[in-house]
This record gives sequence, C-alpha cells and structure tokens, in this order.
Amino acid sequence: MSAPRTSSAPVLPPAPPRAAAPPVHPDPPGERRPAPRRRSLRSRLGPYLLLLPALVPVAVGLGYPLVRQFVLSFQEYGLAQQFGRPAEWVGLRNYTTLLSDPYVWGVIGRSVLFCLVNAALTMAVGIAVAVLMTRVGRGARITLQVGLLLAWGTPVLATMTVWQWLFDSQYGVVNWLLAEPLGLTGMRQHSWIIEPASFYLVATVIVVWMSVPFVVFTVYAGLLQVPEECMEAAQLDGANAWQRLRHLSLPMVKPVLLVVALLQVIWDLRVFTQIYVLQRAGAPTRETHLLGTYIYSLAKEFSMAGAMATIMLVITFVLTVFYIRRMLKEEV
Amino acid sequence: MTRVRTSGLAAASVGLLLALTACGGGNEAEAGGSEEIRLWLAGSDTPQELRDYLVETFEAEHEGMSLVIEEQDWSGLVPRLQTALSSESQTPDVVEIGNTQSPTFTHAGAFSDISDLVDELGGDDLLEGFVEAGTVDGDVYAVPYYSGARAVFYRKDLFQQAGVEVPTTLAEFGDAAVALQQANPGGAANFSGFWLPGQDWYNGIAWLYSNGGSLAEQDGDAWVGALSSPESQEGLQQVQELFANATSAPRDADSAEPWVPFNNGEAAMFSAPTWARWSIDLPECNQGVDPDDESEAAQAALAEQQACNEERTGIFPLPGPTAGEPATVFAGGSNIAIPAMSGNQEAARDLLRIIFSEEYQTMLAENGLIPGNSEYADALGDDVYAQAALAAALDAQLTPPAEKWADVEAARILEDFFQEVASGADLAEASARADQLITDTLA
Repeated sequence: MSAPRTSSAPVLPPAPPRAAAPPVHPDPPGERRPAPRRRSLRSRLGPYLLLLPALVPVAVGLGYPLVRQFVLSFQEYGLAQQFGRPAEWVGLRNYTTLLSDPYVWGVIGRSVLFCLVNAALTMAVGIAVAVLMTRVGRGARITLQVGLLLAWGTPVLATMTVWQWLFDSQYGVVNWLLAEPLGLTGMRQHSWIIEPASFYLVATVIVVWMSVPFVVFTVYAGLLQVPEECMEAAQLDGANAWQRLRHLSLPMVKPVLLVVALLQVIWDLRVFTQIYVLQRAGAPTRETHLLGTYIYSLAKEFSMAGAMATIMLVITFVLTVFYIRRMLKEEV
Repeated sequence: MTRVRTSGLAAASVGLLLALTACGGGNEAEAGGSEEIRLWLAGSDTPQELRDYLVETFEAEHEGMSLVIEEQDWSGLVPRLQTALSSESQTPDVVEIGNTQSPTFTHAGAFSDISDLVDELGGDDLLEGFVEAGTVDGDVYAVPYYSGARAVFYRKDLFQQAGVEVPTTLAEFGDAAVALQQANPGGAANFSGFWLPGQDWYNGIAWLYSNGGSLAEQDGDAWVGALSSPESQEGLQQVQELFANATSAPRDADSAEPWVPFNNGEAAMFSAPTWARWSIDLPECNQGVDPDDESEAAQAALAEQQACNEERTGIFPLPGPTAGEPATVFAGGSNIAIPAMSGNQEAARDLLRIIFSEEYQTMLAENGLIPGNSEYADALGDDVYAQAALAAALDAQLTPPAEKWADVEAARILEDFFQEVASGADLAEASARADQLITDTLA
C-alpha cells in the first residue's frame, strides 16, 4: 500500500521561501499588454477546463462510493440484500447503535491516540533525519537515501512478513537477541502482540518506520530551498546551529511541514494493513481493533460498515480542519 | 492512498480489496458465454488427476460445452464469494465452499434449491452434518464435497523414552501429554507434550464436544452462546489444564503448520488432518533431496525418507471419554453448491451428478479425502492413516448451523476466547463474555 503514496507527488515541490528570496518573474514586458475581452473570457474558463480531467475520475472513483456509503448507512443492507432482498430504510438506527456502544468509543479513542502519537513520532524522526542529511557528507547521505528508499519502496505485505518474523514469539530474532546475548532469559518466549499496549508499541515501530522516509525526503527537499545567504547572515550574527534551525530553517519550510503533518494524521488514522496483519499473527482481535480494522470486521453488514466509515470521515475532518484552515491562511 | 484521503475510509480499501480479489478468477470466462461451465474449487485439496477426470467426463457428455476449473484461495474466500455470487456475469456455475461458511450463503439465497437432486446424489448416505449446514427450512442448497477429520500424530521414540503408552481415553490423553512434557526425553529447550497453540480452537473444541458441550445452542428462533453450559465448562477445564501443563506452544499462534515444532523435536504430539503425514520431516530421516530434482534416485531417496518418517511417527484418533470410542472432533471439509445467479443451471446439475458418481467419489477416497457420500469411504484403504481418519470422522461435529456463524469466525471471537483460556483467565467470566459476543453476533 506504499505505492499510492507516490500519488501525493503534487505536494512534493515545497513552496518557495516567500520572504527571503522573492522568485524571479521572467515575464517579458511585451506580453503584459491587455488582452482583448474575448480572450480574457476564454482564459478565465481555461483553468477550470484543465481541472476537468482530474475532477471527473475523482467524482467517479471517490464520489460514487462516498454517496453509496452514505446511502447504505441509513439502510439495513447485508448479504441477503446483496442477493436481492429489498433494503429497508432504518433512519439513524445504525448510527445510534454504534454510538451508544462503549466499545466503539474505545476503538475511536484508541485510533485517535494511535494516530496522534504516530504522526508526532514520524514527524520528529523524519525532521531529525532530514536535518542530518543536510549535514553529512555525500557518501553517508546516499547510504541514508538508499536505505530510506528501500524501506519505503518494499511492498507493505512483504515488510510485514519480515516484521512478524522478527517479533515471532517462538523463533523471532528479537526474543533471541534479548535472551541469548543480553541474558534476559525470561524474554525467550515473550509474546509481543498478546497485550494490547505492547501490540500498539510494535505497530507504532512498524508504522513510524514505514512513514519516516516520505517525511525525510519532503522535508529534506524543503530544507534545500532555504537560501544559503540567510543561513550565513544568521551565522555571522552569532546564531548557533540549533537557533538557525529553530528560527530560520523550520519557519521557512513550515508550509511543507504542515502539509506533511496533515497527510500523516490522515494516513495514521486509517492505518489498516499493518494492524490487520499483526492481528492475524495472533493478537487478541477485539482488543486491538483500530477504526480501519473495525470497519473491515463490520463489512458483512454493509450498512453498519457504511455508518462507521461515515463517523470516521467526520473524525478525520475534525482532526484536520485546524490544519487545513491554517494552511489556507498561510497561502493567502 | 491519497486517492481516498478525503474520505479517509477503510471502507474504500475494503471495497478495493474485494474488487481486487474478485478479479482473481472469473473474468476470463465471460467471453465463452453459455457454452462454458465454471467450477470454483477452494484450495489445492482436489488433486490434478481428479480435475482432469471432471473436465474429460463433463466434456464427453456435453457436446460443444467446456468445463473450466478455477482454483480459489481459502483465505478471503467469503468476501470473494460475496461479490462474485451476486453478479450474473461473475458467478461460477458450481462452487466449493467451507462447510462452516455455507449457512451464511444458503440463508442469504445465494444458492439454488437442489432438494429434488439429493436422492440421486446419495440421499441418506451423504455426510449428515454437512447436509444440515447446507439446509434451510428443510430445503437443501449445498451438499458435502469431502471431509477430513483430525487425528493425533506422535513420536514413537519419545513415547518410549518417557514410558508413555498410546492413550485410550481422553483423560489418559491429558495425563500422557503432561507426563511427556515433564519427562522431556529429547531435552529440547521449549518442549511441548502436546502442541496446542493459544488460538487453536479447531483442536480445542474437541474437548468441548466430547464432554457434551457446544459452541452455541438454538433457543427458539435465536442462537445463544453455550460456552457457559456445565458440559462446555468441563471440557474447557481440561483444555485449560493442557494449556498450563502439557504445552509450551505460544499463546499467539494458531493451528497453522503444527508439524514445524514436531519436526524440530519441540513437541511429542500434534493434532491435524491426516494429510499432515506428508509434512512430517524429521531431521534424522532427511536425505537432503533437492525438491526440484526429479531423477529416479531422488524419488527413491524421497520414498525412503517418507518411510523413515512414517516408521518413527504414529497416529491415533483422539480418544473419547470412554475407552474404545473416539472423541468428537471438529469436522473440517467443504460443501458444494450451485449459485442461484448461474445461467447454466441444467449443466451445473449434470456436473454435480458427475461429482457424486461412484467413480469420482472413489477417487476422492483414494486420495485420502473422506468422500461426501460415505458409502464410498471404504476406498480410503486400510493403512493406519485411513483408519485413524475414518475413526475420527465417525463422530466428528461441525460448528453450529446458524445463519451468521461465519460472522463469528470472521470476528475471531473463538481465537480471542481460547487465547484467554490459554492465558489462565477465569473460565466462568471469560465464557460469559464470549457467550455474549456469540449471541450478539448470531442475532
């Protein structure tokens, strides 16, 4: 599931540092002539026409399922309905059933916490490694980049198989390392995923490990845009490395950080594959559900799953509205 | 997954998964129209020789028609059928489905009523529990394809060294497992008398069933969890003792590949379908043959290796509470049915007739599978494996034939529950919680 992340490429080019280095506009003055009225109408419509090829697939691929999900969430729709029994309208019943169940609130709470912790950790580690990459020599940087690319490019299920084996309680290398060279013999048969807390610890390690490369590359690209002159000027004024990073580099790449953090929150809230695979590896399923796997577990009752997915949509919106408003403000 | 980020929906990824898996097989046949019959077989249990027989026989009987057999993976079969069976263009014409999965689809109206065909296919000789799983309100929608019951494999040398005899009752079996665990004759670091991983409810429920307990009972129109009944509790008590004193298997493992620790010398016994004999590979017998090597010498070495493994390994059906009677174990196996959406109902019925013919049923038995029509089970042969399989299958029992039983399995309620039992949870409390979950899910 890492491949689709590349489709976020549009956010990759970081916003040019506005204050410090005004971008040069090489428009030749000859083209500044006021265009005839007729052309101006077309040029006003032009951008919208260019949007069409992107909007149509989004409307078909995303809009249709979204509408269908929304409609389903107000019906009783299961396997029998799929084989032709008429679907009954039940109003808000699916929602009230779900929201009056304390277990569902537990899942929501866990998911939000998991999402925030993972997004924060990913950002912290990602920014640290990006800064590191601006400081180290070429050889070290290339090694880092190759390593990150491999971590990012390997298919999720393949990496999950490896992680699963690393933490396997019978034959896993983690337990072996703890027991043999480190002498913690009690860890020989330790099960890492049988307790929810330790399950989420393992999941966090894996999710952060998988998400860090994206943050590193994006932030690193942003940091490269910070003009050398500003850094030099600050250095001459006596700012140390930490101050230069804190007060100069990071504010300059803030738009990039905001976008990346937003994506991380969204991705980590609807994390699915990693949790699903770890559950199948032997964790107690019910105690370790997050929103993604919980909705999947409801999937036989399509209407319930639709209602839960709609609830999750609202949560995603609540979590990100702050960022989006901030981002829009920055751009104005 | 930026594509779905504005919706942020796992539901979308579920849909995606369904769509992807649904494409796994099925589309290529659309061009053939009504001249082509498609049979979906689950997993690789049906040997190639049998598939060839079906194709040849069917095509010989039906001029101008062809039979295409498509193999579906067991994992994810239910969601794939959910999408395929409800679409006229996607549906196969005959489909194999896990016996415990079939009630979900028969109740949903996914299959055609074949009650009028049952007598012709074998009538009362068809495996009883399987027919029940395919029946709604007296009408039959799915019939048994094959069954494979579980039996216990053991290391003869370890039994001898520990001074343990093959047990004849369920209580003796428990004692033997504990004795083996304590003796640890092989000196392995992490030894199990009986390999019983925490989530392995497929094996664990044998103790429930043998003590007269069950997973769920019908109460009027509703199904309620029955783990708290005194009989079930007695069985669970015995299982918990095994977990505590007779196994070192991880609590976070399931019934997959129990022969791995057995081959490693880390377990004296494990329970599995009898075809597990082909997976036993003890180090002292291994001849180091390259699996791709097809020379005569390699085949001879492999045969010798298998003989060596089978000489050192014994097998017996799990004994029941009284001597001379096997335990009531879980009956694995599958049913076969005709999807209601199929446009080739008549040809599909003809294919069922071929499958339930004496020739084909005998071939199933000769390949170690207990055939859907028990009349032909004699063809299993009379070696120890066939005998153990037959004895175990005699009294084997399915999961409850409730409409939504597949939901209980999908929610992994029993995996979670047996894991709790393995972790030493209070039985009454854990059972009450699991019963509530089962009742809610089946409602």
